This record gives sequence, structure tokens and C-alpha cells, in this order.
Amino acid sequence: MHIELSQFEIDENTFEVTINYSDIKFDKNDIGNTIGYSDGKLPPHFEEMIDQIITRFPKKCNINAGYRLLNLQHSTDRKDGLLIGNKFFQMDKIVTSQLKKANKAALFLCTIGNEMELWAKDLSQKGDSVLAYLVDIVASSAVESIADILHNRINQAASKLGLNVTNRYSPGYCNWSVAEQQKLFSLLPNNFCNISLSDSSLMKPIKSISGIIGIGTKVKFSQYICDRCGVNDCTHRVYLLSKANKANNIVL
Amino acid sequence: MNETVDAIGVCIEKGKVNKSSSYPIDLQGQDGADELTLQALTQNIAPDEILKTCNDAMQRIGDKFGRNEVFVPELLMAAKAMNTVMVHLKPFFQAGSIKTKGKFIIGTVSGDLHDIGKNLVSMVVEGNGWEVIDLGVDVKTAKFLKAISDNPNSFVGLSALLTTTMANMASTVKEIKMEYPKTTVIVGGAPLSEESAKIMGADGYAADPQSAVLFLNRKIA
Repeated sequence: MHIELSQFEIDENTFEVTINYSDIKFDKNDIGNTIGYSDGKLPPHFEEMIDQIITRFPKKCNINAGYRLLNLQHSTDRKDGLLIGNKFFQMDKIVTSQLKKANKAALFLCTIGNEMELWAKDLSQKGDSVLAYLVDIVASSAVESIADILHNRINQAASKLGLNVTNRYSPGYCNWSVAEQQKLFSLLPNNFCNISLSDSSLMKPIKSISGIIGIGTKVKFSQYICDRCGVNDCTHRVYLLSKANKANNIVL
Repeated sequence: MNETVDAIGVCIEKGKVNKSSSYPIDLQGQDGADELTLQALTQNIAPDEILKTCNDAMQRIGDKFGRNEVFVPELLMAAKAMNTVMVHLKPFFQAGSIKTKGKFIIGTVSGDLHDIGKNLVSMVVEGNGWEVIDLGVDVKTAKFLKAISDNPNSFVGLSALLTTTMANMASTVKEIKMEYPKTTVIVGGAPLSEESAKIMGADGYAADPQSAVLFLNRKIA
């Protein structure tokens, strides 16, 4: 699938990427999988609620996405992480093993804005916890989809230069401390993509994703990497497994 | 047991809130937890008998959730039906004719904004007859300490989803135990296990909402 997207260089090696809500392809089986239902087992009542949420999504999103390209190097005196730009990021082997052969890193941010979270909060306060939960699930699915599209865009840009990209990694996952968000944000313009960071390293709007993608000639994308991590209940694992299964089915 | 009370139990387990609720399909058009509770009270059925039936129903749905036979939406529907019953039973709690089992303070630890797990535990524990004090998400240790100070003899539940906020959870457990050594602290969330709970000094670990209820009920048995 080829997605036409526009990208603007707002600063040296810093790009804003335009993504429209119509670029998002909601997959109700994926959403059902995230909740726990196997394919086709999402109860009709909840499926109808999800349909209603998806219908309202275009008026409830404010999509922003972008990235900055920086040099990635090994530190001469530390083995527990990598140097990106002028910052040393302390990372687990799960992350460094995938990024170590890269010589560039794309530090990215993306968000769907705060309308969905406000909607969920309002529903929750009114006692409609089920719809609030499903709004949250659809919002998470949307922002993951935006991150997929952005990842794809970075891959397309890299491919034109004969380069490959790695999987994307986010602070807070893969044993990478969420506190490292502070370094990541310090390397990006202020309020980049309209996302801010709290002292406890949480992003606002909540439905935002930050992370790093390695770029280089010797790196590769792995379809499923969660078998390297011990956190079996991780929500991201469910999402990645669902995607990997779909990719395998397409190949077969 | 009375037929109406039995039907309330079915409504809780299946998440049938009231007559106009279209969920679940097999109970469409029938009275829900709302109407049936009013009928039971009109029949002079003891409020604590209704509550006991609701607690049993919440336990059944909680057990099903623990076995992955149902998922969060079904559990939330059950909790919603339970809350409807609780609205009718509230005056009896206030009058003292039925008592809560105790107070349970819950919050997602500092650095973590995830609230779904915490809310589920909160609703299921409340549905089992506990008074729940929900401190919200990204809760600093000082807020937990203040809530314990304001609510002596309460139990505390800490939730986290991010692996990386486990350190904050451990520090919160440590500070609670330093200041209030007799306070029971239970922890839960995706990155945790019995072992990690023990290492951080918590009294218990709950893999799911029903485990939290069972743990709390054992503590007051």
C-alpha cells in the first residue's frame, strides 16, 4: 500500500508530516484483539459502539506528526546505551541490539490530540464506563495507526537514499526508562507536534507516541520482536502480535 | 432464595442495567438490575440479602474475567449494573442497616497515567461491598500518605502499567510501610508478579480484580 503524504522541513533535519484521519484504517478485528476477543468474536453490541466511535472520530481528532534526524553513535566509555545527537540514552539490550548498527536516528512524535481523551473522561464521569473504555481503545488504535503511517513515511524517505529503518522504540517500553523522555524531548523543538512533557515524563495529550527509529544500511525491520522481552501482558505486545499475524497470513 | 433476588444476580452477571438497556441481547425487553432491585425492596427483602446476591454475581463475573472467558467490556457492564443496585441500597448503608467491609484506597502510581486496570479493580472491589477511595492516576506518594492518614485502618491498592514505573511503585510501598507499617498494601498491573510484589515489600499481589477482592476479603475474615 502506498500512502501519499506531505512533509515539510521546519528546521534543519526536522520535519512535520501531514497525516489525515482518512489515512487511518481502523481494523475492528485488531481492536477486538486488543480487548481480548479473538477474530470475529467481538460481541455485536460492542462492535456497534465501536462503529459509532469510529464515525465520530474525524471530528474528535487533531493529528500532528513529525520527526528529527540526528546522528547515532556508540559511546567510547559506556556500553549501556547509545549517543543520539549530543545526548547519551541509557537503553536495555532489547533496544540497543536493534539500533546499534544504525548511524542515524529519527526521533519522532505523533498525536491525535486531546479530544478523544476528553470525550472518554466526560463519558466516564457520566457513568458510561463501557463507552468511555471503548473510546480509549479506539483512540489508542488510532494513534498506533498514526505511528505506523509515520514510520512508513520515514521508511519511504530512507529508502530513497538506499537506507533501511528499524522497528520503533518508545521510552516506557522494552525496559527503556520512561524518564528518558526528557532527553528525547530536549532534542526536539519546543512544543513539537503540540505535545508537551510533564516532570514525571508523561505526554500531553495522552494519546501521543514518542520514540526512536534507527536508520542505516545495515539495519532491518523485524516483524515481531516481543519474544525478546519478558513483559507478557504488555498492551503493545498484543498490538504487535496482531499485526505480525496479519502480515504472516498475507505472506502465506 | 427469592426469584427477584436471583434475577438481580443474573442481571449483574450479564450486565443488564435496566429495562431500556439493549445489552445483553438475550435479556432485551426484560427488567434489569434497576427495576428488580426496586421490586425486591418493595417486597421487603433485606438489603443485605440483595447485596450478598450482587457480591456473588460480581464474584462469578470476576472469576470468568480471570479465566479470560469474558473481557473488560463485559466486566464494566456488570459493574454498571452493580452500581445501579448500589444507588438503591445507598440509603441503607447510610442508615447503618448494611455496612461496608472497609475502606480501600486505590491509585495509579506516579509517572503512570493508565487507569483502566485501576478503574476495574475499583469497581469490582466496590461491587463487593467495600468503600473505595479512588485517588486517580499519576499519584504521588504524599497523596497516598494523606489518604491513609485521613482514613485510618484503610487498605491500599497501587496500580501501574509501565514496567518503568515499577520503581516509583516500590518507593511508594516503602514510604507507606515506613510511615504506616500496619497498613496493608496490595499491588497490581501488567509488569508485576507475586515475586516483584514481595521484593518491593507489598503485602499482596493481585493479577486481576477478583484476586484483589479475594485478598481483601481474606484480610477481614
